[in-house]
Amino acid sequence: MRCARALLGLLGCALLLPSASPATAAEEPHVLVLFGYQRALPATIKVEQGLDETIAAGTEVSVEFLDSARFSGESYVRSVTRFLSEKYSRRSPQVIVAGGEDALTFLLAHREGLFPHAPIIHLGIRPSVLASLAPFPADVVGIPIEFDAMRTIDLALRLSPRAKRLVLVTGAAPWDRAWEARLRAEVPRFAARVTPEFLAGLPTDELLERLRALDRDSIVFTPGYFRDGNGESFIPLAAGAAMAQSASVPVFAPSDTTMGTGIVGGYCPSYVAMGREVGRAVNALLDGVAAEALELPAVLPTTLNLDWNQVRRWRLDQDQIPDHAVIHFREPGFLEAHRREAILLTVVMLLQSGLIVWLLVERRRRRVAEQAEQKQRFALIHASRVSVAGELTGSIAHEINQPLGAILSNTDAAELILGAGAGPGAATDTEAESWPDPARHRELRAILADIRRDDLRASEVIRRLRALLGKQRTESKPLDLVEVAGEVFALLRVEARRRAVTLSLSPAVPRAMILGDRVQVQQIMIILTINAMDAMANVATDRRIAVLAIEERARHVRISVTDHGTGIAPEHLEQVFESFFSTKQDGMGLGLAIARTLVNAHHGRIWAENVAAGGARFQVELPALGRTKRNRKVSINTRHRHE
Amino acid sequence: MSDVALIHVVDDDESQRVALLRLLGAAGFETRGYGSTGEFLLQPLPDQPGCLLLDMHLPGPSGLELQAALQRQGSGLPVVFLTGYGDVASSVRAMKAGAVDFLSKPIERDALLDAIGRALARDRALRAAGREAADLRSRFAALTPREREVFEGVVAGKLNKQIAEGLGIAERTVKLQRAQMMRKLGAGSAAELGALAERLKGLSSHHSSED
Repeated sequence: MRCARALLGLLGCALLLPSASPATAAEEPHVLVLFGYQRALPATIKVEQGLDETIAAGTEVSVEFLDSARFSGESYVRSVTRFLSEKYSRRSPQVIVAGGEDALTFLLAHREGLFPHAPIIHLGIRPSVLASLAPFPADVVGIPIEFDAMRTIDLALRLSPRAKRLVLVTGAAPWDRAWEARLRAEVPRFAARVTPEFLAGLPTDELLERLRALDRDSIVFTPGYFRDGNGESFIPLAAGAAMAQSASVPVFAPSDTTMGTGIVGGYCPSYVAMGREVGRAVNALLDGVAAEALELPAVLPTTLNLDWNQVRRWRLDQDQIPDHAVIHFREPGFLEAHRREAILLTVVMLLQSGLIVWLLVERRRRRVAEQAEQKQRFALIHASRVSVAGELTGSIAHEINQPLGAILSNTDAAELILGAGAGPGAATDTEAESWPDPARHRELRAILADIRRDDLRASEVIRRLRALLGKQRTESKPLDLVEVAGEVFALLRVEARRRAVTLSLSPAVPRAMILGDRVQVQQIMIILTINAMDAMANVATDRRIAVLAIEERARHVRISVTDHGTGIAPEHLEQVFESFFSTKQDGMGLGLAIARTLVNAHHGRIWAENVAAGGARFQVELPALGRTKRNRKVSINTRHRHE
Repeated sequence: MSDVALIHVVDDDESQRVALLRLLGAAGFETRGYGSTGEFLLQPLPDQPGCLLLDMHLPGPSGLELQAALQRQGSGLPVVFLTGYGDVASSVRAMKAGAVDFLSKPIERDALLDAIGRALARDRALRAAGREAADLRSRFAALTPREREVFEGVVAGKLNKQIAEGLGIAERTVKLQRAQMMRKLGAGSAAELGALAERLKGLSSHHSSED
């Protein structure tokens, strides 16, 4: 900045050269700015920036720093006085700016010896402090400032409505102690709302630890501090930033120089604005306006500065942010930049969201319905299993008793052959003595082999039965309907014989693949086939023929069961699938209803029709599993052969 | 004619059939197995004591239908039913049609042999009755027409005098014919003759039903 000013000065000189008659350096206006604190203080930098922006070109500005937070004492004051006096003896300033209370008191004390004729403009001093220093000579004027701590705390409490504790942090330097005293005096006005708690003059490490451990219901207010409890020096901003970074709760501070350090914000004077105001006063004084004639603000107004990132980080109540707040770090919202597009986009997004919400609700509704349906289906499937098992009791008993009977008879025969059991005409002692007789040995081996085979046969029947009755869950797997029909035939063979029905399986294709549950598809076929057998109970035995056919359609596989019974009355063609509808004397009327449920569960359809030659045909169409062209070709050929 | 009983086993379940044949063979019977009703009917029945162990559910005509066919033919071969699953209706039908027993698989050896034994006993009784009836018929056939007329008169309870009058012959001739008739038929008294006549009546009615 100083380089820039030097450059500017050089440039100004260069520009003035052609027109100006030999101007001496002494004729150039000279302003001395004396800051009480160190030069790296953000407030100092901001003030300088404001001065720099406004002080007229061609004015030479010298800047000095007392650095009184670190250096004090009579000898220091003496050395500074001597330094300034010697440095500016030949270039005395026409105007002096006093930055801060320390600078002002120093100048008031030593101006007679240093710069007795230069008017003084002070800045950055609170009115209460000024009141204690007054009265001033007429050529000492200034712009007082007020750090609005109470307004800041009030705002902080509004932004954090749940806060119950107000933690106030100050330091150990005189400036810090002054803040503490002031806060202690003013804070009780919030006592009804929060419990104030002071953390004053603590070593920084301990302080940060305390801030880290604060409960969520606290907020922190600090003006920062120049010195901590260990006597270490700080820039208030740096202290505030350290606090903001450690604290587990939002930290408020009355300074706009803290923006971006983690502090939420607060009401504070703008140092840049202050610099500009003073700069304008300097120009006026240099133009010959008397100091007492300057129109200066009674106090520099404070502005509310807020760090948007911190507002969002602490989820502060954005509705409570006053309109006059200066929000830092908020990107110009998309809404502000592209209002029309934003509205359009919002409408589109709302519509989309609405659609998504509707779809989600719909999906949920459907899932609930599906679950209910599935529950009902399981109940029906169970009923189906029981009823199918009931229908097949005779066949199953026969199928199991057959191998069991064979096993028993074989065992009995073996016993007789071994001479253990003496039946009529059983093996005699002499025969028994001739053991081992190779012929009987062979016979016994054959018997044992048969027993083993029949035992397996019996357990196979039981396994089939268990598969039919014991299954709990539905599973969708690729199924070959021709194969399933073959299994159904094995199950129904005996039942058909018992009812003197000729069963015929007529697959028009070598394979017919669907995606489904094997047992449920089996049940569909069983139900339809038993239904066909029932339909023929009263017709002559030579007409009792049921045909189970498997065919391929374009995208479906069709199962049809045709009987040669008396057919279905036309008015009953639809009704037959309803629960508890039965034209049979002892029928429950569940079978076809169950079949329809199972078919629906496989995304297929089922219907009944009468056959011209007499009898009825039940048809089921199920979606085919995708097949290759080659397979389709094979199936067509096969169909031709069948026709 | 062999004395050893021949048991016919009709069962389409090969394993069961073979096991039964083995068991009955080991128990000392002659056996023959058939897989269906038709197979059984195609074989001529030898003149040999025996019985039929018949499954109920068979491919083609059922066991009950075979039983009925045998009855129509006048065959006295006793039938024992052995079924994997018998309902009440078919067991009643079988027993009404004269089956010796109606057994369920699996069957214990003792129960099976017991039923076979009863069937064979019935067969023996039937065969004995048949032989006796044939003997009686041949003896009756040996009577002269006149002796037959006297026989009918005696059985009707008529006195010799009444018979002589009815036939228009001498009472002495009636006495002679009656003595010869009694000797040919092997009857010792009028009461025995009466019993004989009853049996003949039964045979003749049986014959008429067969015709």
